[in-house]
This record gives sequence, structure tokens and C-alpha cells, in this order.
Amino acid sequence: MAWLFVGPALLGIGLVVTFPLVYSLWLSFTDVNLLRSTGPAVELWGMRIPLFRWIGARNYTQVLTDPLYWDSLWRTLYFVGAFVIEATLVGFGVALVLNERFPGRPLMRSLLLVPWSLSRIVVGLLWIGILDFEFGALNGLLLRAGLVDGAIAFFKEGWTALNVLVSVYMWNQAPFATLLFLAGMQSISEDLYAAAEVDGAGYWRRLWYVTVPALRPIVFLVLVLATVNGFLMLDLIYVLTMGGPAYDTTTVSWHGFKTSFTFFKFGPGTAILYTLTALCLLLTVVYHKLVLARFEAEG
Amino acid sequence: MTTRARYRGGNYRRRSVGSQVILYATVTAVALWLIAPFLWLFVTSVSYQKNLLARPFTLVPPEVTLDNYRKILGLVRFHAEGQAGKILASMWNSLVVALVVTGVNLVMGTTAGYAYARFHFPLKTLSLFALLFTRMLPTIVLIPAFFLVFRALGLQNTLTGLVIAYCSFTLPFTVWIMKAYFETIPADLDKSALVDGCNRFQAYWRVVLPVSGPGLVAGGAFTFMLCWNEFVVAQILNTKPGTTTLPPVIAGMNGQINIDYSVIAASGFLGALFLGALPAVLLVLVFQKYMVQGLTAGSVKG
Repeated sequence: MAWLFVGPALLGIGLVVTFPLVYSLWLSFTDVNLLRSTGPAVELWGMRIPLFRWIGARNYTQVLTDPLYWDSLWRTLYFVGAFVIEATLVGFGVALVLNERFPGRPLMRSLLLVPWSLSRIVVGLLWIGILDFEFGALNGLLLRAGLVDGAIAFFKEGWTALNVLVSVYMWNQAPFATLLFLAGMQSISEDLYAAAEVDGAGYWRRLWYVTVPALRPIVFLVLVLATVNGFLMLDLIYVLTMGGPAYDTTTVSWHGFKTSFTFFKFGPGTAILYTLTALCLLLTVVYHKLVLARFEAEG
Repeated sequence: MTTRARYRGGNYRRRSVGSQVILYATVTAVALWLIAPFLWLFVTSVSYQKNLLARPFTLVPPEVTLDNYRKILGLVRFHAEGQAGKILASMWNSLVVALVVTGVNLVMGTTAGYAYARFHFPLKTLSLFALLFTRMLPTIVLIPAFFLVFRALGLQNTLTGLVIAYCSFTLPFTVWIMKAYFETIPADLDKSALVDGCNRFQAYWRVVLPVSGPGLVAGGAFTFMLCWNEFVVAQILNTKPGTTTLPPVIAGMNGQINIDYSVIAASGFLGALFLGALPAVLLVLVFQKYMVQGLTAGSVKG
């Protein structure tokens, strides 16, 4: 009986997730050539799905001996680390502010959804309007205030560009962390604050000894979600830097995206993307462990 | 326990003037940080490029124009109208894809979510773990497979192909979010329906679904937003002009600016962005109460 309910969805997910996942994995062990139409293939109901030729782990060795891969991996780790820290701290700070009582608080909570709900293509373009060398508003303001002598080229120098990417992505994602933190703060009992205040705890002590411990599960959730999102981010790179200047903003996901869909080398491309998938799987296991631990703690 | 209990977040005492000033200053700063970039996008979309390039810079544009909008809507001729003309068609494509995916998700995902919330069946834990895994899966790793299979099936450059590909990242999410939502509805409701002579399906369809409005709206709105904003998959799978959705068209025009440096077109393209962003923002603002409720249920209970 239950299978009548879950059957359609699981079948659908099997078709659109499991099958492509396995097929992509297979591709990462073959010499994919998109122009060749002969060779081994699976014929099903008149459609011909090419299998290409098995070449073992050659794609993986080729990818993993490429210094570009390792450079982009270290860059990705920096990107993810910086992004996770920025998004969590800013998200938490904003949540603290919006948790106070002031007129217009519901409106502020609606505004929270603006950066987060925009397509990241739009997010990228809107920051170009602000950061552009020629017509960017920030450069205009800085010049007018006399704070800089010449316009700042935010995307010309690799290190700056990478950090700008982190901050723009943070602007897009931190509000979501704020939403989660706020939901957590709303569920903390008033009595805890009252008791802490009777004991003479000031604002910062209440924050540290009441708010922060109660939010621990949400902090974990935010950290894991931000980490996975950081590893997978592609669209902002596409609009803002295209992985450049040189390779200075090329992350592993961008490297895999370019190898697969700019150079159409599906073999090495899927191999790169699969290393990324392995990382995500690892994070999922960690996340699952944390969630399970919580369920057991709650009974 | 009268007025004090209404205070949230530990502000029991009346604030001093100093801390009130600090609070309002911070609130203003946060508000600016959240919406000023978006407002600036609007300002640029109603400005002439020459005024944006003018230095010294002014925050209030000296002239306001709707020319950029006229251009992208095809009301006036200009040199890049080939690119700008795709805006309306691609918005239509975005809308069709987003609506169909949302519909598929609500029918299939909701039903499965209900079963996960109510039934015990073999492989339940295993399939739930698989769902969690697919939620964390990078969608991009599936795209080479979709690319080759769609080429074999003739689904490249079709909206059907996009709908199929989008289900791969929305469906697991919908199942999960709806499972969490149904768990907040008392199981006694179903039980009394069963006692009254409904079968399981009737209990679900006639009794539980009608009281699940907020969950359905949240799940649906979120799916719609994910599809409406999606860029990478559409960019890769639908490359033929006229077959793709809004984000790839906008991204493509952004590339054109860099080549042309055409002064007039730049604002027009930024204007296009405003059009593209508006539906998503409206959707979220209208449904935000349900969105927050559903999302936190879906992710926190994870």
C-alpha cells in the first residue's frame, strides 16, 4: 500500500537521478568522444545510448596529475572556508538584530528574502552595477568622497576577485542563514532569559550562555548547507569572473564545468565532477550523523 | 507576566537612549545592505548609460527614462535588438518550465512525502537516506548524462528536457519538505477519517490535503523559485536560440556588453534584469510567511 504512494516519486527519482548518476560515473571511466557515432551502445526502444570505450581510471589519473586540479582544489577550500565563515557570522549578526523589537520588524524580515530569492545571474549583474571599473556605483561614491585616487578594478587582480566572489555569494546566502537562526531564536524559552537576567547576566552573557548553546543544531545545519553550497557554486563565477583572471577564481566545480561543457571533454570532466560528488557524499554522511545524533538525543 | 513576556530575545528592560540609537543605526544599515544593491539595479535600469559613466557620480540620476524597457520589449529599434528580443520569449519558457515542474512535484512529491510521514514499510530508512543524499548531490554531475541521453532522445533544446532535468534536484527536496510538513499534522486526523469509512487514499486526498495549504504553498513556491532562477542546466542543455530560459539569456547579454561596450544597450540589459528578478521577489514576498514556516520545517527537522 505504501508503495503506491511513494512508488511514482521514487521511480521518477530513479529515472532522473540514479540513472544519470550511474551513467555519468560510467562516462568518467571511458574515452567519451561526442563526434563519434559508432562504437558500443545500449539500444532501448529505438534509442541508442552510447557507452564509449572503457579506459579504466585513466581519466582520473590524468585529472589528478594536472596541477590545475590541485590549484583549483586549494582555491576551492579557501573559497568555501571564507564563505562559510562570512555567511555564518553575518547571518547570525543580522539575526541578532532582527530578533530585537522595533517598529517595522515584519517588513525587515520580508526584505531578508530579497537577496536570497534573486537568481544568482541577477545577483552577479547587480553587483557588476556596483563594482564595475567604469560605471560602478561604489567606485563612483569612493571617488566622489575622495577616498581613492582612481577607480578600483575589483575583477582584475586574482586575489581581490576571489574575495569579491566570496562576499557577493555571502550577500546572496547569508539571509537564508538568518532565516534559520531567527526560527531557532524564536523557539528559545523566555524563562531562560528571565532567569539569566535575575542572575545578573548582561546582554553579551545572555547571548553566550543562553542563545548560542540553544542554537547549536542550527549552527551545524547552516555550516553544512553553506559548505555544500560553497563547493557547488558556479553561476556567480560565470557572470562575474569566468574563472579568471588567468585561473585565479577557478574552483573545482568551475574546472569540471569548463572541461565538460566548454571543451566537451566529458571523460575528464565527469572525473573532476565525481571527485566533487565524493566530497559532497562525505559531507552528507557527516550531516546525517549529526541529525541522527539529534534525533536520538531528543528521543 | 504581562508586558514583559511579550519581549523577545532578552530585552526585558526599557532600552536606554544610547542603545536605542545603536539599534536603529544597525537596523538601517542592515536594511540598506539587503536592498540597496537591488534598488540600485532599478535606478540603473531607468538611467542613461552616459549618466552612469559620468563622474563625479550622483546617486540620483539626473534624467529618468523608460527607453531601456522600450528596447527590451521591442517597442523601439536599436542595434542589439536581436539579443533583447529574446527576453519575452525566454520569460515565457521559464514560466512554462517552472509551472510544469512545480505541478509534477506537488503531485508526486506530496504523495510520497505523505507516505514517509505516515507509513512504515520495508526499505523506508534506506530510501530516506538515498533521498537525503540526492539533496546534497551536485546537479552538475548529472548533466553530462542528461546531455547524451537527451541527444539520443531528441530532447536537447526542448522544454520537456529541462522539465525532466529540473525534477532531479526539486523532487527529492519536495518529498523531504512535505514529509516534514505532514509530520506536523496530527495522525489522529487520518485515523478518524479511516474510522469514518475512508480508505487510505481518500483520507489523504479528502481530509489531509485540504488542511495542508501552507505546506503545499511553501513546497510549490520554493520549487517554482528554484526553477525560475536556475541557470547552469538551462545554459548547457538548451543552447539553440529561443529554446532557453531567462537566466541564460541575461547572462549571454552580459557577455555582449563586454564586447560592444555599447553605451545605450548596457542600461537596457540591466533593465532586463529587473524584469527577470521581479516575479521571483513578488512570489516570495506574497508567500513569505508560508515559505519560512515550510522551509524551516523541511530543513531543521532534516
